[in-house]
Amino acid sequence: MTGYKLGINGLGDVIGDIKGGTNILLIGPPMCGKNIILNNIMFQGLSDGEFAVFITTAESGENIINWFTENKKGVEDHMDQFGVIDCVSKTLGLNVGDTQTIKRVSSPVNLTGISVGITSFFEDFWMKKEIHKARMCIDSLSTMLMYSNIQTVFRFLHVHSRRIKTADAIGIYIVESGMHDEQTIVTVKQLFDGVLEIKNEEDNLFIRALGLSPKPTKWFGYEIDGAEVIVEV
Amino acid sequence: MIKTGIPKLDDYLNGGLPTGKSLLYYCQPGVEGDVFGMQTTYINLQQGYKSVCIATASSPDVIRGKFTEFGWPLEKFENQFEIIDAYSALIGADSSEKYVVEDPENIKNLDKVITEVIEDSSGKVIIHGSISNIIDMCGEDQALEYIENWNKYIMLYDVVGIYNFTVWPYSDKTVERIKDELFNAVIRIGGVSEHVIFGQYYSVTKADWTKAMIDSSILFKVLRPGGVKAFIPKLLVTGPFNAGKSSFVQSLSTRSVSVDRMGTTVALDIGHIDHKGFSADIFGTPGQERFDPILKLLGGEAMGVFLVIDSVKGNEFERARQMLEVTRTRGLPCVIVANKQDLPDALSIEEIKRQMEISKNIPIVPAVAKEKKGVFEAFEILIDQIMVGI
Repeated sequence: MTGYKLGINGLGDVIGDIKGGTNILLIGPPMCGKNIILNNIMFQGLSDGEFAVFITTAESGENIINWFTENKKGVEDHMDQFGVIDCVSKTLGLNVGDTQTIKRVSSPVNLTGISVGITSFFEDFWMKKEIHKARMCIDSLSTMLMYSNIQTVFRFLHVHSRRIKTADAIGIYIVESGMHDEQTIVTVKQLFDGVLEIKNEEDNLFIRALGLSPKPTKWFGYEIDGAEVIVEV
Repeated sequence: MIKTGIPKLDDYLNGGLPTGKSLLYYCQPGVEGDVFGMQTTYINLQQGYKSVCIATASSPDVIRGKFTEFGWPLEKFENQFEIIDAYSALIGADSSEKYVVEDPENIKNLDKVITEVIEDSSGKVIIHGSISNIIDMCGEDQALEYIENWNKYIMLYDVVGIYNFTVWPYSDKTVERIKDELFNAVIRIGGVSEHVIFGQYYSVTKADWTKAMIDSSILFKVLRPGGVKAFIPKLLVTGPFNAGKSSFVQSLSTRSVSVDRMGTTVALDIGHIDHKGFSADIFGTPGQERFDPILKLLGGEAMGVFLVIDSVKGNEFERARQMLEVTRTRGLPCVIVANKQDLPDALSIEEIKRQMEISKNIPIVPAVAKEKKGVFEAFEILIDQIMVGI
């Protein structure tokens, strides 16, 4: 099976295709465009004919879909490859049901429910639609860690990072740096094969990749322009 | 004795779960296990039991909404159904429930409420909750110590405990204790997987009051509404030309389609049935010999066969027997559907049995498929045969 394109211009060319079964931590400080980076990575998958499962603990399912329809031309053609697990709407007390694209989970605490949602989308796309390349993301682990302790989240990730490997898919997981103690970050990092690390120095943003190419890349400056990520390679 | 309300499970448990006992649904992550405890709860609310549900990962409103989603409205059981709210405090929300745990991460708080509920009960109460959530909040050793104590209370006060446990990678010691020691019955709920989980099953791994049918697995699907339904992926309907196979598929099915030309099946009939807790996909073959080359494909992966015959046409019984060979289904659980029993020249079941020259273990069910007579009896007999063989 061929690898996965990252979907971030410039950086993707430097690291090349990502091999199936890779779990990637996307870590950086707040307000540096991690969501937009993540959304671009997910959109690349949809464009390449993969299926994409988006687990959101920060925005409602509808907001996630709206971002893609407003910012990514042609995404409408790929909606039957897209699944969103919405852990937000029910927490807000909204009386909303599932749709073909969105499955609701009662809260970010309900890791069992999230797990069932992932299984259901993977079964649907893999078995019924016969799409055998996938990317899954969680935005964000930081919210999960606010509601559940590190051991609980670790156990959940342990199971699902392995399932990503079994399915030869890729997984991307956002963590806010500075929100958790060093021990928590070290514990979580054990489960990932690669890291996309972001830093902000005097209002200049930088990104680098570790574990996704033979050597860590150098720090590249980048900008967020609307819905696009422009990396200065 | 209470019923679990899960298809076939009460048979496997020799009638159900005695009061004073605890039952654990032991669920692989990603498999839909929560619904099992809900289904057991709802079946017993209908029988007049009270139920107390421990909310640890969802708000009480969401839990009530989930019952409704499965077609189990709780409004008429308002006086029988309570929630121990061990969730609202976690997210800083107020609670309007009768039982509220102020600090769910402190197991002593949870214990105080649970023991109070059991002590206040006058029997006929089912306690239902997720122990993995309690372990996650309170720690493995402490949670297990208290759960063991709650089970003693359950025995002492003759109530019933129904627990869910998602088998996250806890320590081996914890998992072993949960699986082997703490509960009177353990029902494993697992996934069939290759790359991804694409099927789900349940089986009894322990029941200390009876010689239960251990390790017989039942595939299932979860329907909304409907809950847990035992699922048979494929039942084949075959038989000679014009024996009434399409009528049989249509009469049996909750929904069906037929690929036919001028009233004769030229590809296959497809139907789906939901009946008495069982869910099955049904595939009907054409009967003409010119289609024989494709029949072996249709027979693949079938779990049981209905052999439909025209009760008037004894001269076609040879062809009927041959079709079990052609579809490569000989040896699978089989029921002969003796159709068109309403016609004046229809042979008796004894005569059909004599002329068919088949094993006496294969049941023959009289039927008039167009009038739905005998079709559900045939289905129930075939399901029983399949379940015995699993």
